[in-house]
Amino acid sequence: MALKNLPIVPSGDPGALAEAANAGLQRINRPEIIEPEKVNPVVILYCPDGALSMDESGIVINYKLCKGCGICAKESEGIVMVPEYTGPKGIF
Amino acid sequence: MNKVLITGSEAAALGAKLANIEVLGYYPITPAFPAMERLSKYIEDGELNCKFIRVESDHSALAAVLGASLAGARSYTVTNSQGLLLMTEVAYHAAGLRQPIVMGVANRALSAPHSRFPEHGDAISQAASGWIQLFCENNQDIMDNTIQAFRIAEELRTPVMVNYEGYIQSHTLEEVFVPDQEKVTAFLPLNRQPALDINNPRGVNTVTGPEFYTDYKYKQNEAVLQALTLIPSVAAEYNKEFGGKSCGLLESYRMEDAEHAIVAMGSIVSTSRLLVDELRKQGKKIGLVKVKAWRPFPAKEIFELLHNVRYVTVLDKNIVFGVGGALASDIKAALYGKGNMVINGVIIGLGGGKCGVSEIKETVDHTESSDSDKNRSEWFGL
Repeated sequence: MALKNLPIVPSGDPGALAEAANAGLQRINRPEIIEPEKVNPVVILYCPDGALSMDESGIVINYKLCKGCGICAKESEGIVMVPEYTGPKGIF
Repeated sequence: MNKVLITGSEAAALGAKLANIEVLGYYPITPAFPAMERLSKYIEDGELNCKFIRVESDHSALAAVLGASLAGARSYTVTNSQGLLLMTEVAYHAAGLRQPIVMGVANRALSAPHSRFPEHGDAISQAASGWIQLFCENNQDIMDNTIQAFRIAEELRTPVMVNYEGYIQSHTLEEVFVPDQEKVTAFLPLNRQPALDINNPRGVNTVTGPEFYTDYKYKQNEAVLQALTLIPSVAAEYNKEFGGKSCGLLESYRMEDAEHAIVAMGSIVSTSRLLVDELRKQGKKIGLVKVKAWRPFPAKEIFELLHNVRYVTVLDKNIVFGVGGALASDIKAALYGKGNMVINGVIIGLGGGKCGVSEIKETVDHTESSDSDKNRSEWFGL
C-alpha cells in the first residue's frame, strides 16, 4: 500500500468543505441555469455558500463552492436542480 | 549559567520565557496557576514579548493557542486535571492538525470524588491524544524539558506535554540551573510554518473521507514515533550546549548488575533513587529506570534495560480502571513473551497518597514475596 501524498496540516482548497477525490463537494443534485433572463439577481443573497455571483453575462454558479442544497432553484425562476453525484464512490 | 532557587511552576514559566513564547492562552486552575502568574509578570515587566489571551475556559485556552499556532506563533499554555479534561477535544485537534504547541501540565487527581492533590491521572487520560508526553523528576527537569519540548514539537510538527506534579513539584522550591537567554535563542531558532496564510488561503481541518483519513493518521503516528530518536538527540545537544544532565527517553540508575528494577515516572523517581541507594548499601542488587518519555512509549529501550532482571516493580500514580496502572500495562506489553520476570504493577500515591521511601520499600519487598501475582496490579495505601 502506498501512502498518499497529503499536506502535513489536514487541509483542502479554499472554500472546500470536504476533501474528496474531486477536491470538492458531495452533491446529489446540482443547480443549472436554464433560462438566464428569468433569474432574479437577488438569489445571490440566498446562496448559503456564496456560490452565486454576477458578471457581465449574468448570474454564474461556482460549482467548487456549491453543495447542491437547491435553495437557489426554489427561490428563483430559471434555475433547476439536475441529478448528479460527485462524492466518493463506495458502499453507502 | 545561573543558579536560582525556584518552584516547579517558576521553572516551567522560566523555560517558556527562555523559549520566547509569543502567545500564551490560559484559564486559571490550581496547581498550574503560579506558572501563568509568573509568565504574566514577565509580560507586564516587558521581559517577554508575548500576547496573553485571557479566556473563559480551558477549552478556549487551548483553542486560542491552537489558532495562534496555526498562524505561525510559538504558543504555550499550562493546565491540569479538570482543565486538561475540558481541553481534550482541542487537544486531539491540535495533534491532528500537527501544531507544535507546548503545554505544561501540573498533574492533579481527577474528580470524582473531588481532589486537589498530585497524581498522574490527568496526563494518562490523554494517552491516545497524539501528544508527546514528557515527565519531570525535579524542577531542573521541568525547565530543561520545557525548552527541549519546543525543539521537539517544532521539528516533528506535533504538540508536546511537559508533565510535572502539582504541589510536590509545582509549589516546591529547588535549585535550578538556568541557561543564558542568547544560547537558548540559538538552540530554538524560530522557523515559522503557518497553516493560515493570507496569500495562500486553505480550508484547514476539512471533512476527510475514509480514503484519506487513514493516511493522515498513519503520518501522525509516524511523526510521534520519530520522537523516539529525536528526544535523545535533542537532550544530548541540550546537555552539550548548556552542560545539563538531561536524559533521553529513559535514565537507568544503578542498573548494571541489577536483579530487581523499579520503574517509575515523575517525582516518585527521586524518592526511588534514595531507596535504591539505601538498598545498594545493604548489598541488594537493585536499580531504577526513570521514564521521561511516556508517549511515544520507548518499548525497545525498556526491553534492553529490563530483559535480564528477575523482578520489576512498576510504580503508577494513576489507575486505568479495569486494567491497572498505565505504565505497568505498557511495560508488560513491551516485555511480552520475553523472559520470565515478575512484573508487579503498583498503584501508589493516588490523589496525593503517601509514597515515601518506606512505602516504596514495602512495594519492592512485596514484589519479591511469593504472594505477588505477576499479572495483577497491587493497590498500595488502602
